[in-house]
Amino acid sequence: MVGYFLRRLLLVIPTFIGISLLVFTITRVVPGGPIERLMTQAQLGGETGGLTRSQSSGSTLSDEQMEELKHYYGFDKPLLAGYAEWLGKVIQFDLGTSTRYQDPVWDIIKERFPVSIFYGLSTMILTYLVCIPLGIFKGMYHGSRFDSLSSAVVFLGYALPSYVIGIALISAFAGYFDWFPLGGFVSDDFAEFGFWQKTTDIFHHAVLPLIAYLAGSFAVTTLMMKNALMDNMSADYMRTATAKGLMRGEAIRGHALRNSLIPIATSFGNNISLLISGSFLIETIFNIDGIGLLGYEAVIERDYPIVMGILVISSILYLVGNILSDICVALVDPRIRFGESRT
Amino acid sequence: MISLLSNPVSQKRWRRFRQSRRGFASACILLLLTLLSIGAELLASNRALIVYYQGHLHFPTYGSVISGREFGLDYDYETNYRDLQTSFAAAPEDNNWLIMPLIPFSPLESDLIAGDFPPHAPSVSSKHYLGTDTSGRDVLARLIYGFRTALLFSVCLLIFNYIVGVAIGCLMGYWGGRFDLFFQRVIEIWSNIPFLYVIMIVASVITPGFWTLLLIMAFFGWTGMTWYMRTAAYKEASRDYVMAARALGASGSRIMFRHILPNSVSTLVTFVPFSVASGITSLTALDYLGFGLPSPTPSWGELLKQGTENMESIWMVGAVVTAMTVILMLVAFIGEAIRDAYDPKQFSYYE
Amino acid sequence: MNKFLSLLIKPILLIALVLLSAAAFAVEHSAQLPDTLPENLNWQTNNKDPIFADPNALRGGRFRSFITSFPLTLRLVGPDSNGSFAGYMRANNLSLVGIHPNTLNPIPELASHWAFGSDGRSIYYRLDPDARWSDGRPVTADDYLFAMEFMRSKYILAPWYNNYYQEIIADLVKYDEHTIGILGAVAKPQDEMLFEYSISPVPAHAHKLDENWVRESNWKIAPNTGPYQISEIRKGKYIEFARKKDWWGNNKQYFKYRYNPDFVRIKLIRDLNIAYQYFRKGELDTFPLIQPRLWHKKAQGRIYDHGYVGKIKFYNDVPQPISGLFLNEDSPPLNDRRVRYALAHSLNIERVINTVLHGDYERLQTAHDGYGDYSNPNIHARPFNIDLANKLLDEAGWDTRNAEGIRTKDGQTLEIRITYYSAAHNDRLVILAQEAQKTGFKLDLQLLDPSAAFKQILENKHQAAWMAWSGGGLSPRYWEFYHSENAHKPQTNNITNTDNPEMDSKIEAYRKATSKTERVALAHELEQLVYEQGSFIPTFKVPYTREAFWRWIKLPAEYGTRTSDSLFSVMGEGLFWIDETDKQLTLEAREHNELLAPINLEDSRWRTP
Repeated sequence: MVGYFLRRLLLVIPTFIGISLLVFTITRVVPGGPIERLMTQAQLGGETGGLTRSQSSGSTLSDEQMEELKHYYGFDKPLLAGYAEWLGKVIQFDLGTSTRYQDPVWDIIKERFPVSIFYGLSTMILTYLVCIPLGIFKGMYHGSRFDSLSSAVVFLGYALPSYVIGIALISAFAGYFDWFPLGGFVSDDFAEFGFWQKTTDIFHHAVLPLIAYLAGSFAVTTLMMKNALMDNMSADYMRTATAKGLMRGEAIRGHALRNSLIPIATSFGNNISLLISGSFLIETIFNIDGIGLLGYEAVIERDYPIVMGILVISSILYLVGNILSDICVALVDPRIRFGESRT
Repeated sequence: MISLLSNPVSQKRWRRFRQSRRGFASACILLLLTLLSIGAELLASNRALIVYYQGHLHFPTYGSVISGREFGLDYDYETNYRDLQTSFAAAPEDNNWLIMPLIPFSPLESDLIAGDFPPHAPSVSSKHYLGTDTSGRDVLARLIYGFRTALLFSVCLLIFNYIVGVAIGCLMGYWGGRFDLFFQRVIEIWSNIPFLYVIMIVASVITPGFWTLLLIMAFFGWTGMTWYMRTAAYKEASRDYVMAARALGASGSRIMFRHILPNSVSTLVTFVPFSVASGITSLTALDYLGFGLPSPTPSWGELLKQGTENMESIWMVGAVVTAMTVILMLVAFIGEAIRDAYDPKQFSYYE
Repeated sequence: MNKFLSLLIKPILLIALVLLSAAAFAVEHSAQLPDTLPENLNWQTNNKDPIFADPNALRGGRFRSFITSFPLTLRLVGPDSNGSFAGYMRANNLSLVGIHPNTLNPIPELASHWAFGSDGRSIYYRLDPDARWSDGRPVTADDYLFAMEFMRSKYILAPWYNNYYQEIIADLVKYDEHTIGILGAVAKPQDEMLFEYSISPVPAHAHKLDENWVRESNWKIAPNTGPYQISEIRKGKYIEFARKKDWWGNNKQYFKYRYNPDFVRIKLIRDLNIAYQYFRKGELDTFPLIQPRLWHKKAQGRIYDHGYVGKIKFYNDVPQPISGLFLNEDSPPLNDRRVRYALAHSLNIERVINTVLHGDYERLQTAHDGYGDYSNPNIHARPFNIDLANKLLDEAGWDTRNAEGIRTKDGQTLEIRITYYSAAHNDRLVILAQEAQKTGFKLDLQLLDPSAAFKQILENKHQAAWMAWSGGGLSPRYWEFYHSENAHKPQTNNITNTDNPEMDSKIEAYRKATSKTERVALAHELEQLVYEQGSFIPTFKVPYTREAFWRWIKLPAEYGTRTSDSLFSVMGEGLFWIDETDKQLTLEAREHNELLAPINLEDSRWRTP
């Protein structure tokens, strides 16, 4: 078993190289990189007419000038050499410097970790807290009116874009009723607050975005839980349990429940990388400086060091998460013994 | 395939499926909606269904454009049948008549009401039953055509994903070893590429059409099915009957096609509804973000985007969200019913 | 409000000129500035024009505004220095000479006097001895010498600035602490020289020019010469400016009574809908309402009806962006003038204006609107006219129609691919495409992201480009857009690939002419030729600004000026002020739901017919 997990850990390395090389190649091959962006930006004027002087939008650039720009952005090296250099730095925990913020990528990401983890974790915990009981209930009363109705509600939340939910929440509860702040992770004067004030401030700001996050996340987990439970309720051991004279509730609690958690446990690993992703739409509306927004903007604005930096972190989390979920599954399901037969 | 459908197991499953009232009803509704959307031109179009003009019948719905001159109008471009209807009604002595579809608007056509700016609110008198979007296009018509596009898209996607997934997954499960290990890594790498990132980049460089988009989605979509098939094939391959077949000297391909495939593919059916639903939702999400089908293709995502930008005109968001919820619910109920029908050991804890 | 916003809100994304190397057209480069200041210079200044600020203005208060993306840098040049926030930074970076917003005459800024050399290319400035950097040091000729070195340096990573300071501005000489001379590359009319060579100083003592400059000065607050300086930065939240206590310009004739708020806080609000919620609650002082949807649907309700918030529509008279459909003459069938004319007659611009644009925008008639005398008022854009279009197309041989009703000729269908880059324009183009079917055109809409679209267009791979070039400058530019020198090659502004010898000779005459009457006459003739060429189809213009403001924000009696593109640009014109007593009254009135006189202003003094 230990050997199996060791092997899995080692396999992370080629996978990681594969992922990063692929994305690195895309950033190099695809047009619209930072240099093209710079060129367009220099020629993009914002002001509507008016008496503008346009010193910044000069003539076309000479080859020499282009070379200098390429050198600045590190585009002057061939693909593989560039990749090797990048990888070499990553091994030394240097993710490079953002081409837009001019700050080290790691600092930028680190700054946003707490916010993203706070929302990611709260969403995950609340989702499990709601979805597992709801799924069990729906499974036990499959086909009932409650089952249909709750499906409708859960799917409505899923179909409503988070943007719509966010705007509606803010307009109603922050704009009209003034119960909650209009956005942000904390107040502008957060630094001057005491501990208790800080805590309430964070939660005061978190209520609306959390609702927006949660609305869309119930559907998948609830249905997964329900389906798993229903699969298990028809299993042989349940028949045996009833034959033994166990009541239905006892049989479910004693036998089916634990087994039904397996798929949830499997998905747990994937959710770890979701911890730091976050929805850029929700972050935009609520003015939250999270990783989701950072990543989205980095792609749109072609800030490749940040794109690669987030990729490194999220893929490591994902790969580790996969192994973690295997461990979870092994813990929940005593029948599974990894590494003993061919897997 | 025929044998798959006519064998007693399948018939039993079908019976069981029909017994699940909620699921069966949902299936019927979804089928009806699909059929309606396939014949969308008969339901929502700016072309008349039948025109009777000077003793001749015309059926303009399908086929080429009929110039206004054909009906005695003073222009060369396509006849405006709604105006024609009014002018026919104004001169009943000519005995001309025409029948318009229930929704007399095409999904691409801006119907601009004088004295009001789009989006127009829902109204029965203007025949915009769900209102119009910001360009004055009928929301209901766009909803119907958008559903057709999305459905077609996700069915194509599903076929592609299943073919690739079943092929590679079976081989991985059956052969195992290095082949399995290699593709495991490939899948791991694949599922880690930021999908949205690739779409965004492609969409910024070219305007993706239906097939380009399908190709990109399929490029990333096959892994899930492959993973599932791998497990299924792996399970089957270690079953006694496969061992027996092997002992009897059956060839690899025979085992694969006669034993493993039929047994694992039958379970694939349970996934179909969910795959279709996820195809529809991902296309909608892409359109919503602006990386989907080009304008002016009718699509739910584009309508949703307009709706969110114009929240004052609630009918746009309302229409799409309701439609989406209904479809998702129908699909979920059907999926549950299929699963019940496939469950060989139906246990009496739930009926 | 700010650059990024106007980018979102204004009808078109504006793309500024890709100024072509003036060297291509340059006269002899050899000329130099004299070593000593010429004797017979005629020093001029301007203190005769009326002031445009209101003497009743009250100093004080905090003005609250917003941006939709946090600035990536505080640098004025180099990568990412062109974002939404740059407007605030540039406004505090004064130049030598300004322009009077109503009379358009030059007015002193950092230079108190100016004089022209006899060669038609050189100009001399006398710096205002009162001018100070924010750190108290005087602004001297050395700051200009350093500006030249700085702007030509490759360390600033701004190649376009490098080029401008090499190819447009040939030389800069210091005569004494407060006197400089600037030599342009080519001879120009005097008003254009004043306008284009009016550069800004760069403080030598605040910059260390080396390869780390871009990174090190990214968040450094450099000394400036304007009325405000950044006092606080909370990354990802807000930036606050404070007005300098004893700014050197306080009592200068044209600076007096302006820049009234003591503090300006610019908050980051990423979503426009949310920003409006802030405004509605009174946490922002003003809100731009150019978009028809905002003006007509969003800006309604109690706060307006009860007079807590006012609305103003103010017409201005500034060079309009050259916005429209640019047809690539190298791409058949657009090489046929009749097809180009027919396409112009097939675009139902009026219908777009009267529907999705709520009748708010106006039809742009010529390529160069808002240039005063230079604009040719006798030219009118080709109207939507099915019969005329049909006639032209029949003549051009596109006389059969296929099953879809699209015209064909020799097996080819009449399809035009339109490249555009703003999803917000979908509804406009959709209507145009649908209407164009009536004459048998099929318009394929190709939406790309701005840099991809721009790239395609500059490489002449487009068929028709739906875009806008920013106006600006004092007079129209024809050489960049229509001279054959720039046709048929990539990376030029001649994206229509116009190649017309008659226009060439007129353009050359126009470039050489230095008298205004001659230039105006030539500009009118050229505009007529552009119209006859038919490769540019003008679309919309928005000759006004529309904004909402809380009652305590007070505007001068005339609201704004001829060139106001925003009435509440606090560091631009900075004419408004905050009335704190009125603020209390308004807030109390809102508390008690009292009715105040509603404010609905419209000013069309500067509206051009």
